[in-house]
Amino acid sequence: MQNKVELTPEAAVRAVMRDILGLSEEQVAEFTAETELFGALPELDSMAVAGLLTELEDRLDIMIDDDEVDGELFETFGNLVAFAEMKVTE
Amino acid sequence: MTAIPAFVSYEFADCKELCLSLAAQSGRRVMLVPPLFDEMNRMRKMLVDVMRSLEAHEIASFLPNLPGTNESLRPLEQTMLSDWQKALEACAQQHQISHIASFRGGALAVAEMKTANHWIFSPVKGATILRTMMRTKVAADREAGLNIGLAELAARAKTGPLELAGNIIGSDLFTQLNAAEIPSMDNQRIVRLKSDNKPGDVQIPGTALWLRAEPDDDLDMSAAIAQDIAAWIGQ
Repeated sequence: MQNKVELTPEAAVRAVMRDILGLSEEQVAEFTAETELFGALPELDSMAVAGLLTELEDRLDIMIDDDEVDGELFETFGNLVAFAEMKVTE
Repeated sequence: MTAIPAFVSYEFADCKELCLSLAAQSGRRVMLVPPLFDEMNRMRKMLVDVMRSLEAHEIASFLPNLPGTNESLRPLEQTMLSDWQKALEACAQQHQISHIASFRGGALAVAEMKTANHWIFSPVKGATILRTMMRTKVAADREAGLNIGLAELAARAKTGPLELAGNIIGSDLFTQLNAAEIPSMDNQRIVRLKSDNKPGDVQIPGTALWLRAEPDDDLDMSAAIAQDIAAWIGQ
């Protein structure tokens, strides 16, 4: 069996966004720190956000508490990546 | 002409549960165990596409309803994980199933069939499924001005049924799911998506349809899944 491969936080966030939004690798590669998420992407509803958080926990071996999650976190792609980077160093 | 999937049934606990089937005359017979809850809806079209592809490989396929879901007459609230496990054993026996392909949380529902041949797609433990569902409830409650966190919801689930994302989940189902780890069986093939970094026996191209906001399909992925199942079953 192949072993688990370590992912960078940014790669994990990009991969999960790609899966949630049904984008191609090229499309999601165009996401920058300023790319707007919540509000700008109708697919990103509360159900999708719940799936996103659990999937990030799973892929990055982190635990995310309820009180760490607020609207600001999902404002931009950069915010989400910064949060994931902060969590893996905890 | 391509055959059309048809409903057959299997008996469990004095109820007839529906089961979609295709190419039932073949000797190679695989039971497809769907993901749980919302993931099942989002992946159903993909699973039926897998059935159509399997027919082209001359493999019969069966996609059972889990008791308490879809058209089942049994209330989900009175259903436990162990009921799903017994029901799928009954289905496998009644339809002379030779191989089992389970998807996501569906793997938990066949975890007690230790001696069967298991093909397992992107398995997930029960606590992870519940955590996602509890998060949607936490978010919905917050919009309604309530502040009930994950820990408190989990505590409430011990004393009574909990409605999570439209599913009434009884205490027993919650407790059993929460403890259900990804099964490890003698004859198993773990299949992951190429984008997945978790361990597996093989990786196939495709997208995580269970994360989508709406049900969707991925014909290339369905064909790749059917191809891998056919190669795994052999002649």
